Amino acid sequence: MPRREHLLKIGVSGIRGVVGDFLTPSLACAFGQAFGTYIGRGRVIVGRDTRMTGQMLQHAVSCGLLAAGSEVVDVGVLPTPTIQIYVADTGARGGIALTASHNPPEYNALKLFNSEGLFFNQYERGELIDLYHQSQFRRAANSEIRGITQDYESGPKRHFERILRHVDVEAIRRRRFRVALDSVNGAGSAMSCQFLEQILGCDLRAIWVDPGKPFPREAEPKPESLTELAALVWREGCEIGFGQDPDGDRLAVCDENGRVLDNDDVLALVVDAALALHAGDIVVNLTTSSVVEDVARRHGRQVFRTPVGEANVVERMRAVKAAIGGEGSNGGIIFPAVHLCRDSYTGMAFLLHRMAQTGKSISQMAAELPKYYRRLGKVSYEHGRLGMLMQSLEQAFPGVPADRTDGLKLLLDDGWVHVRASNTEPLLRLAAEARSAGRLEELYGRVVQALQQS
Amino acid sequence: MNEPQLLRISHVGVRGVVGPGLTASHVLDFASAFGTFLAPKVPVVLGRDTRASGVMIREGVVAALLATGHDVIDLGVVSTPVIQHTISRIGAGGGVSIGASHNAAEWNALKFFGPNGIYLSTAEASELLDIYHLKKFDFVGWTEVGKLCLQDNAIDPYLDDLAQVFDLESLRQFKVLVDCCNGTSALILRRMKEHFGLNLILINEKTEGVDFAHDPAISRETVGLQLAPLMQPVGADAGFLFDADSDRVAIATEEGNPVSEEMILPILADYVLPRVPGRLVITNISTTALVEEVAARHGAKVVRAPVGRQAAIDALTGYRPEQVALAGEGTGAVMMPQFRFVYDGIASMLAILSMMAERKARLSEIVNAYPRYSMLKGQLPFASRRLPELLMEIQMAYSDGHVTSIDGLRVDWPDRWFHVRVSQTEPVVRVICEQRGDPPVTLFEDLMGRVRSYV
Repeated sequence: MPRREHLLKIGVSGIRGVVGDFLTPSLACAFGQAFGTYIGRGRVIVGRDTRMTGQMLQHAVSCGLLAAGSEVVDVGVLPTPTIQIYVADTGARGGIALTASHNPPEYNALKLFNSEGLFFNQYERGELIDLYHQSQFRRAANSEIRGITQDYESGPKRHFERILRHVDVEAIRRRRFRVALDSVNGAGSAMSCQFLEQILGCDLRAIWVDPGKPFPREAEPKPESLTELAALVWREGCEIGFGQDPDGDRLAVCDENGRVLDNDDVLALVVDAALALHAGDIVVNLTTSSVVEDVARRHGRQVFRTPVGEANVVERMRAVKAAIGGEGSNGGIIFPAVHLCRDSYTGMAFLLHRMAQTGKSISQMAAELPKYYRRLGKVSYEHGRLGMLMQSLEQAFPGVPADRTDGLKLLLDDGWVHVRASNTEPLLRLAAEARSAGRLEELYGRVVQALQQS
Repeated sequence: MNEPQLLRISHVGVRGVVGPGLTASHVLDFASAFGTFLAPKVPVVLGRDTRASGVMIREGVVAALLATGHDVIDLGVVSTPVIQHTISRIGAGGGVSIGASHNAAEWNALKFFGPNGIYLSTAEASELLDIYHLKKFDFVGWTEVGKLCLQDNAIDPYLDDLAQVFDLESLRQFKVLVDCCNGTSALILRRMKEHFGLNLILINEKTEGVDFAHDPAISRETVGLQLAPLMQPVGADAGFLFDADSDRVAIATEEGNPVSEEMILPILADYVLPRVPGRLVITNISTTALVEEVAARHGAKVVRAPVGRQAAIDALTGYRPEQVALAGEGTGAVMMPQFRFVYDGIASMLAILSMMAERKARLSEIVNAYPRYSMLKGQLPFASRRLPELLMEIQMAYSDGHVTSIDGLRVDWPDRWFHVRVSQTEPVVRVICEQRGDPPVTLFEDLMGRVRSYV
């Protein structure tokens, strides 16, 4: 059981918490009203993932938006990237997605988007949270209150259309790939089946695509949570398997041998595919594997690193006009020519496109990537000791160049370690990478030892 | 204290001007309190009138009820009587009506019902209010959150029940002009036209995306605005005007005369009492004395309660349903036991038309057959502190009459009476005088003078 204060978090990244005693409809409504006040009058797109609390929160948020004089467009259950694209496509003032992304089902949260369907920058987020705390909301009178319209149809179409401009649909369809899918009964359930089966002409074998049912596995798509997908791939002889998170922004991939690929390698493969289509630089977070640098070098391109968090990556991508970006460890792929959002559908399409083009299997493509060894972990810490922990960590690696933009990243010649405090829990997140398994264990061990000693 | 009032939270519910008075946060908190007040996990029926702000309030009420573990059956835009009918028809645990009835368009309100569609008693309403003020709501865990179900056909079973009580066939002979005031009555009456072939001509019948054509107040004055002048040109036999949530009604005769809203209760008493001899009429102490005269004609008794819906509900709970013929007030709101004691303007309309059919009489003949009573009404702002003093002075000045002090001060003489009381909805003192025959001008002016001297 997490500590009480972590059951509800209201901060610059929005509002997130355990529904019931912590994340209440009143809070969601007030946040909706603050949002409506902040962005000014106009249309706001509201959608959600399949969490059992989503409908309740959507009504609460809509109440707040209407009270602020916004016009609400209810797009129902849709993946977060689809909602973002809908906002950008329809000239809305902003959007709200009710989803706690990869968090467990008892959580829910509000993701807030500006008129371009992007996260607000950190300054805007600060203004919004101030407005929320001041409770100085716009209060529309009867004559200023707008209504709610529904559009459950056009979202997926808008999203697919943007992706299909960038891949050779006919080549993919001709191959009639046998594909496995695990949508965790999330927002992607119906849409992913439609995308893979009808649009991309795959021979689909899907599990957990019932949006009315609870999440059958841990929400985050990663090797440990995708054992059923791996079994399905093996049993049905699929060429590739896709695993999504509940709001369809994250993607994990299983190869034809039933082995779930490392998310950093998936990102590297998609970066490779994207750079073949679209010249430009790459933006990833500090924890992403160096394999991306190797791929970038092949294309003669540069990699920029940002603090962890989708908003940080997106902000930098905009600034450097990146061709592609993402966050390795968590399965986030961002291709701006579709939209500056984390999008599992772009990832699926690019990988199938690449397989069709090269005739290679997904495991072959992965094997061609330079081999790195990675280890992620976390340790809890006491408040007030963070600075000391970081100091002793630095002392454990004397003379090694450090990057302090997000926690501490120490850059060795043959690897790196990265330690940062989680934004959501009192945890330190550890990551290490090296060219050999032995070196990795040595680096990781030194980090753990340094943290334990202090 | 004489600022215009924008919000009122009381045992009657929450009511206010949306925006400056009534906010989304009030809605969430009040609906969360109601969800906490109800038995756990019972389905709740929800409906709203045609006001634009109704959509905002609906979203908040739905969220709060789902979060407190209740399934919500949303009837959409419907009248309050249809909500109450649906609660008892499907055996729901309670209901919420969003609508400010006869108030102007910028107002809105929440009304709460218990099982069987009955208004909360004062004791229950006080409990609800306590929960609201404590702000300790029983939000359920994430697996227990309720589900929303939309139901847009609640009007039909309601109409079928009305057709059981009234001979709708016999009412087809009348051409009836109705001013819906852009309220929920339009939806019911349209359906009634289609299903039962009644000859209804509806004006101000649009229910979406419009401001009210005029204030939905139920009074002789509003009837005089649009409805009454159209009666003769249209050649209508009867004219009716409804408030936004269709619980009150006012009438115009075929000659084009607006009839005082005070007449609705005596007319309906005259219709109902012969069918249920010996039963009581329940009304408030501000309503016309014509009620007593009509009741006496049928050998029935009148019970008078303090003014306000809540007092009427409490008075009703003192009697078994079979003891009561009807209950109502001078505002045009009347409930009949056939309809489980729900203020229902549509039922009132059908009763008046049935009366015309049975007596083979024109509406003006029915209205004009009653002895003439004249009523004068006035209101003045006041200083709360000196109010007891004022009432005492008036009581001393009129010590020869019969005094009732259950709500302000009422003094009765054989042919006239007056009532001085503080309004529950506005910061004013109301003065009402009535006399059989001509208006009691001297009495009225004396009372107004005394009230004014205390401002």
